[in-house]
Amino acid sequence: MSFHHLDQYAHIESPITHTPPVVRLLGTVVVAVGAAALPLGAWGHMAVLALLVGLIALLARVPARVMLLRVSGPLAFVVLASTAVLFLVPGQPVFHAGPVVVTDAGLLRFGSAIGRAVVALGAAVILVSTTGFPDLVSAFRDLRLPRVVTTSLGLAYRLLYTLVDEIERIERAARSRNVGAGARRRRQLAVGIAATALTRSFARGERTYRAMLARGYHGEMPSLRTRRVDVNSLIGLGLLTVTVLATTISAYMIR
Amino acid sequence: MANLIEITDLAYRYPDGTPAIDGISLSVESGDRVAILGPIGAGKSTLLLHLNGLLLAQSGSVTVDGMKVTGETVREVRRRVGLVFQDPDDQLFLPTLLEDVAFGPLNEGKAPREAAARAHGVLADLGLAGSEGRAAHHLSGGQKRLAALATVLVSRPRVLVLDEPTGNLDAEGRAKLVRLLQERDETLVVATHDLEVARALCSRCVVLDRGKIATQGDSARLLDDASFLQQHRLTVPLGDRALRGSTGTRSPKNPHNH
Amino acid sequence: MQGDRCLAHIPDGFLSAPVIAGAAVLSAAALAVAVRRSQSRLGEQEAPILGAATAFVFAAQMLNFPLGAGTSAHLLGGVLVATLVGPSVAILVLFSVLLVQALLFQDGGIAALGANTLNVAVIAVVGGYGSYRWLLALVGMGTRRMIASAAAGAYVSVVLVGIAVAIELALSGTLPLVPSLVAIGGIHLLVGLGEAALTAAILAMLMRAQPELLRRESPPPPVRRKWVYAVTAVSMLLAVTAVYAASARPDALEAASRRLGLGESVASYFQSPFADYTAQIGGAWIAAAGGVMVVFAVGFGLTKMIVRTRRNP
Repeated sequence: MSFHHLDQYAHIESPITHTPPVVRLLGTVVVAVGAAALPLGAWGHMAVLALLVGLIALLARVPARVMLLRVSGPLAFVVLASTAVLFLVPGQPVFHAGPVVVTDAGLLRFGSAIGRAVVALGAAVILVSTTGFPDLVSAFRDLRLPRVVTTSLGLAYRLLYTLVDEIERIERAARSRNVGAGARRRRQLAVGIAATALTRSFARGERTYRAMLARGYHGEMPSLRTRRVDVNSLIGLGLLTVTVLATTISAYMIR
Repeated sequence: MANLIEITDLAYRYPDGTPAIDGISLSVESGDRVAILGPIGAGKSTLLLHLNGLLLAQSGSVTVDGMKVTGETVREVRRRVGLVFQDPDDQLFLPTLLEDVAFGPLNEGKAPREAAARAHGVLADLGLAGSEGRAAHHLSGGQKRLAALATVLVSRPRVLVLDEPTGNLDAEGRAKLVRLLQERDETLVVATHDLEVARALCSRCVVLDRGKIATQGDSARLLDDASFLQQHRLTVPLGDRALRGSTGTRSPKNPHNH
Repeated sequence: MQGDRCLAHIPDGFLSAPVIAGAAVLSAAALAVAVRRSQSRLGEQEAPILGAATAFVFAAQMLNFPLGAGTSAHLLGGVLVATLVGPSVAILVLFSVLLVQALLFQDGGIAALGANTLNVAVIAVVGGYGSYRWLLALVGMGTRRMIASAAAGAYVSVVLVGIAVAIELALSGTLPLVPSLVAIGGIHLLVGLGEAALTAAILAMLMRAQPELLRRESPPPPVRRKWVYAVTAVSMLLAVTAVYAASARPDALEAASRRLGLGESVASYFQSPFADYTAQIGGAWIAAAGGVMVVFAVGFGLTKMIVRTRRNP
């Protein structure tokens, strides 16, 4: 269960963490969408955006090691998933790898997918390294996402921690009872854990609801945040947006 | 002057028909400190839920500060009665402590600035200054208890209702909580089976058994009476097989009932 | 780390700008509808139920279910949650999970969030839950029938996700449609079995441990069986016609995609293979009808079988 990393790096002080979470979130979305929307084979433009991400990472004081580590995991998945593209796309054969033929069109798509993914992942890693879950929820709130979504995510955050604690306890207890059991046993155990997690989380949800009512809840989730977005952050976000937009659109104009 | 809490002939049955509490009458005066004692399943939690209007009387009535607890008065009642649940994780449901503590005042319609200021004040009072931005899962068990208490104290209730406040606490955390509660001047209703805590916090004890009040009276007197405590399953000597065997067959009638 | 990743979540880099935009618009519209409907369904208790369901799906998607031989399955959970709290709430729950997975876990792309929402939250839940209700209406109410129908619905939901992903990749020009459908759809035909088994197992366990959780679900409206069978027959007829049309005149698809402004390069991927396959079997009509019949028979048979085996264990 690997989500304990979430709150780990959100405390690095930097010019980026001084901007409101909603600005960080929007910046990430701008870069990710800008990168993902690049046309095939716009290598130069990908490089420009990658450079931009590197610059922001530097500004955010996210250690290079953390960046590389966090990007490499998901990237491995992207590479794995995009190998199919190499030979499934019809085009001029470039070389033969055993029984399959790698085509130029395949290579183009393979490279483009990985290039765009690197930039988008880099942006996402900066976000997760500077912004904790609660801040993210408040950013969603500032963005006027449906209230049910922000509220339930806010509640889910705490629930998830108590739930995972419980799941880990059940797992330990079950493991101690059947050491070295086979796949069948482990499968039953996993299903049991999932079912327990479900009932526990609904039971917890119900008790939470009572606790909310006891403190005067009447169907409307109140919010403390009144944080205004400062001018500097807005200018920064504006500059970023213009740069990314210019890069992405120019990639289409050149073709 | 009228009693702060007045319960008359209160009865409640679970949806499946088993009675949880069965004809309870109880008054609590302003400034009283009452312990509700009894084994698990005696009806303590059900009784507490009625005080805050989370359960409404099926028969009989509950009156708080002169208001009969009904669907209409329930919001006003909840403002006066602060309920702290058994498991602090149920009560701390928002991403940060500050939001959790400010939740009550915000629901009462306080402006965010004022609610936050109050929350800061209460957290500081309870020794949790500096933890405002933290999530509850980064707190110790004792800190979580205090935080849960803070979420209620912030609304300045007249009555503080606590369900098993010392459950899952170590000796140090328990002592700290008791000291803190001793210094408060709110009216106190505490459900517990920690007899030491009952003695330390409350002048009066009400013993529940199978949904009825078995007896009530002065803490010191009742809690010193060893045979009384055993009779109501409040203490069971370890290893005494005869006694454990007899609890299941004991008649529901008993001499302390009045 | 890849073990934690969900196959059904498209990462950034695979979709083109028009697909990113189109999927985002469609899923935003679906979410707006879901928000309105879930409010009227749950009222005040909406937030805590949604929170609980979101936390559960989050935790469940992290669990590994070993299948033996070194492989393992993950739960998407759309149909499972929909049977408990209704489809509109389930859509919101899955969207919340996708949102956080994309932003904080790099599981599924940020730009691809619209597409992933459309696939995993909207199409899977609506399609899977729709099939579940439809099957329930066909086989009738009852605990075992419900579990079997939910399993079938879960299977459908995963296959639909696979098809949707394949089509989005084809529309983006990343993969030609047919290989994309075969590869991605094929994988999901297998993955769906895991989802179906897990959904059934978890529901069965819930029914034993906490039947009141399932009672949230209202029984299907009292439709007359006759009507359900009639609608089934008509929709099968339509499906046969559609498959026939697609296979007999592949240029129609091409024309359609041109009209959508997808350009030559994309349209060219939609070509011939359909026609090739049908020619070998002997007549597009027969192939189309056969395909639809087989799919339906397998689904219906599976449901019946599960109902029967569960009745006499």
